[in-house]
Amino acid sequence: MASVRLESVVKRFGRTIAVDRVSLEIGDGEFFVLLGPSGCGKTTTLRLIAGLEYPDEGRVYIGGEDVTYREPGERNVAMVFQNYALYPNMNVYDNIAFPLKVRRRKLGLSNSDIRERVLEVARMLRIEELLDRKPGQLSGGQQQRVALARALVRRPSVWLMDEPLSNLDALLRIAMRAELKRLQKELGITTIYVTHDQAEALSMADRIAVMDRGRVMQVGSPQEVFLEPRHVFVATFLGSPPMNIVRCRISYSQETAQISCPGFTRIVPQTVGEGEVYLGIRPEFIKIAPHSGEGALRAEVLVVEPLGVEKIITASLDGETQIKIKTALDVEVKPGDTIYLELDWSRVSVFDAESGRILETLTKELREP
Amino acid sequence: MSRVGDSPLSLKIKEHVRAYLFLLPALALLSVFVIYPIAGTISISLRSEEGFTLGNYIAVVTERSPTKALIISENLGGAPPWGALLHNAVWILVHVPATTALGLVLAYMLTHVYGRSVVKSLIFVSMVIPMVVGGLIIRFIFDGQVGVIPRLMGGLGLEDLARTWTAYPETSLASLIIGSIWLWLGFSLTIHSAAVDNIPRSYIEAARIDGASELQIFRYIVVPAVWPATLTVAVMTLLWDLKIFDIVYAATQGGPGGSSTVLAYVMWLYFARALDYGKAAATAVILTILTLVAAAYLVRRSLGVEKR
Amino acid sequence: MRLKHVLRPAVIISNLVAWLVALLWLLPFVGLFMTSTRPFEEVVLQGWWSLAGNYTLANYVEVLTDPQYDLATGFKNSFIVALPSTLAPLLIAALAAYAFSRFSFTMRNLLFVTILVIMAIPQQTMVIPLFFLLKSMGLLDQLLGVILIHSSWGIAWITFFMRNYFSMLPRDVEEAARVDGASYATIFFRIILPLSLPALAAAAAIQFTWVWADFFFALIFLYSPENMVITQKVVTIKGQYQIDWGLLSAGSILAMIPPVLVYAALQKYYLRGMAGWVTGKG
Repeated sequence: MASVRLESVVKRFGRTIAVDRVSLEIGDGEFFVLLGPSGCGKTTTLRLIAGLEYPDEGRVYIGGEDVTYREPGERNVAMVFQNYALYPNMNVYDNIAFPLKVRRRKLGLSNSDIRERVLEVARMLRIEELLDRKPGQLSGGQQQRVALARALVRRPSVWLMDEPLSNLDALLRIAMRAELKRLQKELGITTIYVTHDQAEALSMADRIAVMDRGRVMQVGSPQEVFLEPRHVFVATFLGSPPMNIVRCRISYSQETAQISCPGFTRIVPQTVGEGEVYLGIRPEFIKIAPHSGEGALRAEVLVVEPLGVEKIITASLDGETQIKIKTALDVEVKPGDTIYLELDWSRVSVFDAESGRILETLTKELREP
Repeated sequence: MSRVGDSPLSLKIKEHVRAYLFLLPALALLSVFVIYPIAGTISISLRSEEGFTLGNYIAVVTERSPTKALIISENLGGAPPWGALLHNAVWILVHVPATTALGLVLAYMLTHVYGRSVVKSLIFVSMVIPMVVGGLIIRFIFDGQVGVIPRLMGGLGLEDLARTWTAYPETSLASLIIGSIWLWLGFSLTIHSAAVDNIPRSYIEAARIDGASELQIFRYIVVPAVWPATLTVAVMTLLWDLKIFDIVYAATQGGPGGSSTVLAYVMWLYFARALDYGKAAATAVILTILTLVAAAYLVRRSLGVEKR
Repeated sequence: MRLKHVLRPAVIISNLVAWLVALLWLLPFVGLFMTSTRPFEEVVLQGWWSLAGNYTLANYVEVLTDPQYDLATGFKNSFIVALPSTLAPLLIAALAAYAFSRFSFTMRNLLFVTILVIMAIPQQTMVIPLFFLLKSMGLLDQLLGVILIHSSWGIAWITFFMRNYFSMLPRDVEEAARVDGASYATIFFRIILPLSLPALAAAAAIQFTWVWADFFFALIFLYSPENMVITQKVVTIKGQYQIDWGLLSAGSILAMIPPVLVYAALQKYYLRGMAGWVTGKG
């Protein structure tokens, strides 16, 4: 088991910067997820940790040891690939045994030791009956298990996973999520997991790093990144539908400042600067009020999407700005209705319109009751 | 805790060592048995009694004796006064368009044909046999006693063509060129056929629905789609025609009277018969330069594939 | 509907033309075979296309055993040359091709262009210095000398061919092996080579055919009758003043049997390899 540390790591491919000064600290036994859209640099970051790429700048430490320029085979990491990358010419047994066989002398293993360990992981992953088959004869889910077994058999100190579930069908994917998480906790292996699927990230991770265009935008627990986004990107990448972002303006009149948004304004008691900001509120934290009242916003319903247990309502605040609301299924509205909305001000976030970063003081001010 | 040798530089050195270990056997054999001899030939071709000169080249190009002439030959009539280089040129002018076009048309026709893979395999067999055997077969089909073509010509009343073609200066080169179409069509057909199979069916079906005739489909859809393959076939055929040796040796020995000599054959005559290594080398270098000019297209294309 | 498709003029013409060409292309082989199986006098009198007559293997027996022709020795020598000249460059070129497709090193492009250029260079450009080189090594008129030359010569095109194939193999399997701790040698021999069997089979089939078919190198470097390969032996059959087509056709058929068998057995690989070799995609 080991911790992993990245120190301002930079990786360029020609002129594009794939990974831009990324620093991360991943604790021993942690389930750490790198989350982001495709091309955000998450896979490259993983490959830098694996040693499949070498950084142009910065250092990589595993278990406190500098492994920046070390061969992947010398890092005691194991990796599960998106397409499983099983050796097509070997049967399942040989696939799982391969990492032990190539290290046999170093680890001082006999053939029967290898056999024992292969059978042990095969049992753990319930693939004992498949050991004689070739990868081509296995279903996606079975290949997945073989890939996991191969990554487990040498008891690596770090487990690296590159979208390992993305090729499975939806049901199996959800089942494997739980199983992977259980396995990881049982074995206590430090795990770094790359995905673009936020549901996967939120349900499995101890901590998540949200990445965009080669940079880490925020690191935190699933709850933190969901409820306390530090950047507009994080706010709009997570959640389905994502956080509503409304363009507002801060202006002064005498001693007080005021934030004016489409459809409503609110006094901010203290000086916070002037200019454009984004006000963010998640669809889950907007309620439909029974009637107009103090602080309720008037809006017109545009679209209603029933989604099983809940409904997503798209409404317009001032004829232009649209906002999404997540409500219970029994709320009866239809397009064209006028409704009144109540924001849960303790959940709003305000971002700088230029940099996209959170405005902490202002957010705090607005959340005060 | 960084270990000695863990640095970007050592990584680079390691990768080079690794690459050259994989390359070592190939580079060793290639340098000794291919690159060194090529350099050697160039050097021999430029050497004569007066030191380094172009003397061998001038002598080879201006040579007029029927068996070794490259450009103008003093042969005794029967055939035009062409030397080996012109024979190669005529060969290319007839053979390249004929084989390329025939292969292209046949490849598209095959899409309609039942048992097309059998047809393809049958036509390809002549590509697989040793080319000396190909030369012997050319001699066989044009043989006055047992050959089909002279008999056929005799039947048509063309008495001049009812004899062994390879034995007369008027017909020796023609028999070789016709024979080479037979030998090489399989290549053109195979490459074109693979290219035709790569055309998405929907293109041709859409054109058919739009009311295009087979000829129009061929002209406006098939030909443009397979054009890169056609160019490749043309260049490869041209290269083969430049280097042609085996079938000439087996069928006519360049004769009679030098009427069917080619560059490679003249080179061999200088080397093995005249023991004039300087002139043999000069002829070989001329041949090389011509092939490289033609091959430049293929090399450029291969590197183009690289960049994509 | 189906019948209507069959009866379209384009379909009818295409079938007629294609099969006519196929049969026409087969005709010389048929003639050769018919001539080889009958006494030559009979062929001259009746033509090989007449089916009546005495069929005999006498021509085959004579070219194989008569010391004047001795095709048996040529056959043996051709195998001795062709087998190592197929296997050795296959392995050596596959190693080089792997370096070209996976490693970055200075001079990579230069070396690769060199290989492309070598592929185009005619054999005639190498033989004079090679003649003297083999002479000084004591390998002139020795099968080993020709094996070395064929092997080296084959390396260039096989490297190009295998590199194209390797470039198409998925990388993640190799990366998995690297993370699993395998050395590059292990990856190459245990993973890449087994995965490349189709390409190796194609290259082997083509290289074998080419080496077997070679005449020019043999003509330059082998001259004693006991060292000649089959292509040399076959052309000497016609050395008489009067050509005996019975013997010559029997010899020709014997000389083409091994490559035709290889082609028949590995046809799929052979044709795909041919197309891949030319178009630069395996």
